[in-house]
Amino acid sequence: MVSKEVEKLLLKVQKPGRYVGGELNEVIKNKKDVEVRFAFCFPDTYEVGMSHLGMKILYSLFNSVPYIWCERVFAPWVDMEEEMRRHHIPLYALESGDSIADFDFIGFTLQYELSYSNMLNMLQMGNVPILSCERTELKNIVVAGGPCACNPEPIADFVDMFFIGEGEEVDLEVMEIFRQCRAEGVDKQEFLRRCAQVEGVYVPALYEVAYNDDGTIQSFTPKEGAPAVIHKRVMLEMDKSYYPDNFVVPLVEIVHDRAVQEIFRGCIRGCRFCQAGFIYRPVREKSPDTINAQCRALCGNTGYDEVSLSSLSSSDYSQIVPLLEKLTAWTGEEKVSISLPSLRVDGFTDEIMNKIKTVRKSGLTFAPEAGSQRMRDVINKNVQHDELMQTCATAFAGGWTTVKLYFMIGLPTETMDDVAAIAQLGQDVVDTYYHTPDHAKGKSVRVTVSASSFVPKPFTPFQWEPQDTIPVLHEKQQHIKESIRSKKITFNYHDADTSYLEAVFARGDRKLCRVMALACERGFHFDGWNDCFSLEKWLALFEECGIDPSFYANRRRSFDEILPWDHIDYGVKKSFLMKECQKAYENTTTPHCRLQCSHCGAAKYGKGVCFEKRQNLV
Amino acid sequence: MKNVRIWFKKDFECRYISHLDLNRTMLRALHKSKIPIWHTEGFNPHPLATFPLPLSLGFRGVNECMDVRLEDDDYSFEEIITQLNACLPRGIRVFDVTEAVMKAGKIAFAAFTVRLACDKTPSSVICRDLRALLGQDEIIIEKKSKKGMKTVDIKPAVQSYEIVEEFDFARLEILLSAGSSDNVNPNLLIAALQSKTGAEYEVDITRNDLYNADKEPFR
Repeated sequence: MVSKEVEKLLLKVQKPGRYVGGELNEVIKNKKDVEVRFAFCFPDTYEVGMSHLGMKILYSLFNSVPYIWCERVFAPWVDMEEEMRRHHIPLYALESGDSIADFDFIGFTLQYELSYSNMLNMLQMGNVPILSCERTELKNIVVAGGPCACNPEPIADFVDMFFIGEGEEVDLEVMEIFRQCRAEGVDKQEFLRRCAQVEGVYVPALYEVAYNDDGTIQSFTPKEGAPAVIHKRVMLEMDKSYYPDNFVVPLVEIVHDRAVQEIFRGCIRGCRFCQAGFIYRPVREKSPDTINAQCRALCGNTGYDEVSLSSLSSSDYSQIVPLLEKLTAWTGEEKVSISLPSLRVDGFTDEIMNKIKTVRKSGLTFAPEAGSQRMRDVINKNVQHDELMQTCATAFAGGWTTVKLYFMIGLPTETMDDVAAIAQLGQDVVDTYYHTPDHAKGKSVRVTVSASSFVPKPFTPFQWEPQDTIPVLHEKQQHIKESIRSKKITFNYHDADTSYLEAVFARGDRKLCRVMALACERGFHFDGWNDCFSLEKWLALFEECGIDPSFYANRRRSFDEILPWDHIDYGVKKSFLMKECQKAYENTTTPHCRLQCSHCGAAKYGKGVCFEKRQNLV
Repeated sequence: MKNVRIWFKKDFECRYISHLDLNRTMLRALHKSKIPIWHTEGFNPHPLATFPLPLSLGFRGVNECMDVRLEDDDYSFEEIITQLNACLPRGIRVFDVTEAVMKAGKIAFAAFTVRLACDKTPSSVICRDLRALLGQDEIIIEKKSKKGMKTVDIKPAVQSYEIVEEFDFARLEILLSAGSSDNVNPNLLIAALQSKTGAEYEVDITRNDLYNADKEPFR
């Protein structure tokens, strides 16, 4: 619902349809009939946030509880923010049009570090104090979850509590406690203390951090009965886990404008750079019947004619072919197309190709991640050169002519030869096209090579590694550029400046809170967007705070250092990560979960791939 | 196979979506409603809908239409209204379904209600300024074209108008040339007024009926 004041601004800004709500399937409740109001904030634009599956799941889940009304809030784009600030209009939720300051909970999902500035900016736009300690009443409780919550320390001063791991259960438990606390009339401190006892809840204010002279952490001490280690929450029965049969269908085009069906959580692979591959362990699948029924309900209720099967690596779904058979039994008739993102190089088979091709043919994207075989072994990508060429040949024979290849530069132990191998791999794909006898007639091949800069992340075997400095990353980008000779290859690279800032916050500690607060004061926002991001401005802030950002980005940690996130447990043991790191130095790979258990620690949850019967592989 | 014209209103939140977004929203609603609409053939079959005259973002539309081809000649029009409304956001309401009597190309005029308000200017003054503008022999505006800016006289497009002073706004009822060849958007008129008076108005535009060259309502 839009207020009269907001309506006056809408025709002055780009894409006003983002600021009005009123979409099909949005949930409207009567304020008087609910006890807990939750503002679900996505710290990026409407188009990005509305594409996020986690938000859709939790929005529907919360609203399925009669006493909760969950509404959506997105970061207004800079033109709208300017208008709102000029006219003193606070940030509002789309459903009711009420300011976020009216809400009991203000929840953020943290998908990437560069959205931190937007989180604070959004609070400020809602006239909500950004510091947790300045919000003293039992209202405007700021909560946060999502992958970045695995190292909550750089934003520990602003968030009252973090949800560690999967949110479906813990969020509702906390809201129930809130309801009780308000009925009893207890204060916010007591509410936080009670929540800290819930598994998966981290209340940063209940912990004290002491530092060594060199800036590393000396000790991390819980207070007031808070647990020393916070264990993540995990949904173990995926077939019984809540999944919406309905999505809010946006009025304006969003980034992923289609139905999304989750098929499993976690990833069997264990690529050593990939945080998702570790923090979502163990792999837990939904059954083909569940997926099929959920897909059908979703398409029926939204009117979408495209459904995307979502997971970290779709072709690793153990029953992918039976699933596609079930789906294609009705999707053709109902004119629904299926898309399979996140295909692995070794998972692209004729069978899968023919199933997805029946409805739509889009470009193919693979992520070999590294150019040389040695490098791919270091990161445990477990993809062989021949497999990639074979896959490309299959695709070319099937009529595809464009292939996108994703790589990373700046990986541990990388040499200039490894970097040049990226260009060579692109060339090999071009050659494969012309060596495939039945490639599309009279058409040329297009290979896009994209290189992003490696950002070491917590809870990965590379969490101790330094990031390459910006000049080194530039040198590597240049080296690839010069090594490419074919006009059929397009080379893109990701800006190293943003990767640097990402690296600072990914492994930052509480000392960075001061920088974040200052960034908010100075009006920083949309750092994930080239339109707004300026490393120069950030460097000036760090200097003003007396903080050296390269301490976080470019420093090699020793195995015995206390890391800022050591008190959080995602099921994967630190000793396992160390072992994996050492194996990386030896160019040794680790088999995936279905081949052999490597005893990472996730088996303690008692479910999932860890307990699947392993097939005897010939 | 039968061509039908679906009549709807576009207002509230849906006022703020572009023509492309309206098209997408309609196609999804048609798909969800399972009304037997003819689909394009080929790799990516989708229902086909055409809009005789797109509506600008921000305008309310009270008599908008969209053409589709029905695969089942006997499908009830009443049924289309009920089913489609159940699948559309609240800002778009279907109120009638008819045969497509006139071809889209026949559209020659469109009637608008334009409400103009300004904090600093009383509505009587806005009315006076509007009268002065519309009373001119020519209204020259700058228009973006493929070859850069060019100046156009939009006065010939003004067929008839009425200016009414309301309590806190000025209301202009105006009939303008419309259609694929010389369409004049009422926003051009507002821009001309703004550049003349220097005032900034709050503008609220509703498109009413469409007409053919003989000023018969478009059906």
